Amino acid sequence: MLETLKMLSVRAYPPRVSEATLPFWSALREGRWMTTQCNDCNRQTFPPKAICPHCWSASVRWTDLSSQGELYSWTRVHAAPTIFAADAPYSVCIVDLDSGVRVACKLVERPGIDTRIGMAVEIVRLQYEDGDLFAARPLNR
Amino acid sequence: MGNRVAIVGASAIPIGRHQSAEADELQTLEHEILARLVVEATRDAGVEKDQIDSLVFTLPRPYTRQKYLHTFLIGQLRLPCRGSVLEVMGNGMTAALAFDQACNEILLGRAKVALALGINMESAVSAAEHAMSSMRTTGDVDFHVPAGFTPISWYAMDAARYMHEHGATREQLAAVAVKNRFHASLNPLAQYRKPITADEVLRQRPIVEPLGLYDVPPRGDGAACLVVTTEDVAKGLGRPYVLVQGRGFCHDGSHQISDVPNDMIAFDAARLASSEAYAAAGIEPADLDLAEVYAPCTIVEILVSEALGLTPRGRGGVAALEGETTLGGRIPISTSGGLTSRGHPSYVTSLYNYVELADQLRGRAGERQVKDARWGVGTGELGNYNAALVHVFEGVR
Repeated sequence: MLETLKMLSVRAYPPRVSEATLPFWSALREGRWMTTQCNDCNRQTFPPKAICPHCWSASVRWTDLSSQGELYSWTRVHAAPTIFAADAPYSVCIVDLDSGVRVACKLVERPGIDTRIGMAVEIVRLQYEDGDLFAARPLNR
Repeated sequence: MGNRVAIVGASAIPIGRHQSAEADELQTLEHEILARLVVEATRDAGVEKDQIDSLVFTLPRPYTRQKYLHTFLIGQLRLPCRGSVLEVMGNGMTAALAFDQACNEILLGRAKVALALGINMESAVSAAEHAMSSMRTTGDVDFHVPAGFTPISWYAMDAARYMHEHGATREQLAAVAVKNRFHASLNPLAQYRKPITADEVLRQRPIVEPLGLYDVPPRGDGAACLVVTTEDVAKGLGRPYVLVQGRGFCHDGSHQISDVPNDMIAFDAARLASSEAYAAAGIEPADLDLAEVYAPCTIVEILVSEALGLTPRGRGGVAALEGETTLGGRIPISTSGGLTSRGHPSYVTSLYNYVELADQLRGRAGERQVKDARWGVGTGELGNYNAALVHVFEGVR
């Protein structure tokens, strides 16, 4: 289960949800971190897709993603688009999950811990007033 | 290549703030600028109006009021065509693709003379408002954009990674900005021409860490036109011209980021596309006299210089700091001033790169002329160099 962080606002730019991606957002609401995995070539992909990008099979199932990984890179955005201006500066990052999938997401920094490339991070659920997003956060160790 | 393509003419307006605000009494009209550039470029080439049979335009920004600007301009110039007239779009690669398509018109025999041209007007729209649109061009609008990624945030992560892997410093990145400003000081088409120091670069406010204001491109407006034709026609014109000797393209099969972990700062698409272009031209990177690359940020110039084989991996920053890429150095890069100082009206940016190459390889670059320049390379890209289009040029004088 992902840890849930309560956010006291609505999402600045909410994602659209399709029939194919609804299971991802429904799972996230329950603190689960999932994606699609191909029934033919067995590879996971992220974001989730109805067609496997590797072998183009339309037969996919939902499986858990690794919720921990390593920080590949990150940045703090100071010059933000209008809709994100109130949040600036904010951080975003790229994480290599332990199971071999790379994701790009928000980065929730920990006060007192220097953010460093290569550090261990975990995925957390961000519960906004209007729905969820996900983020990486340095492990507390 | 059988009958090769030659660049025989070029024109451009200085990059800067040209777009008028809604309230201005006198407005700047895109087609008026383009009509003048077409006349200037064809005069520069020495070709006649009735020789032109194809025009490939870059897509205008959505802020341009006149829709279908390409066919509108054909009407303004009363220019009947038997080849093709179209607008192309390919994100940051738009202008490189427009040039590439104009070359194709020649190679396919659809036109004896073709124009690659376009205008990008956006400076009257604020950066934050423009970013509302540009943030949707990189990454996945449902899975990345909600986190607040912007186009240059991806390059910033390249910079952080490069510094982590190679121990590169902000001073090395700043050296690219200082060098490009020096080059821009010698280029009448450049947007920012007052020389700057490394200290000034490092003192600018952060934009996307570790990149500051002078590490990222300014916003500006621009327009340019190139005339291409067959090698035979070019020879007959009796003026210096530039041959397209090699071309390579590669899309790495990912949009902005691969979910299969890879080396994001290797810019593999640029490496593969340039290998193909060098092989077609029969040269090695060491044969090049200059490079005019699509590099929106200081870090991108470093990474693409490595991917193109101009400097060894991990050494691009040091090469910039030691002056190897400055005019007079081992391999001058971005002699126009590059995207950071010459300017970056992005849908026409690569046209400006080809204008610079056409000037340098025809021996017309004035104070910033690379001595005896014969071979040059130009690039276009999209995403995080997920796709690259590379052309190798040879000047014939």
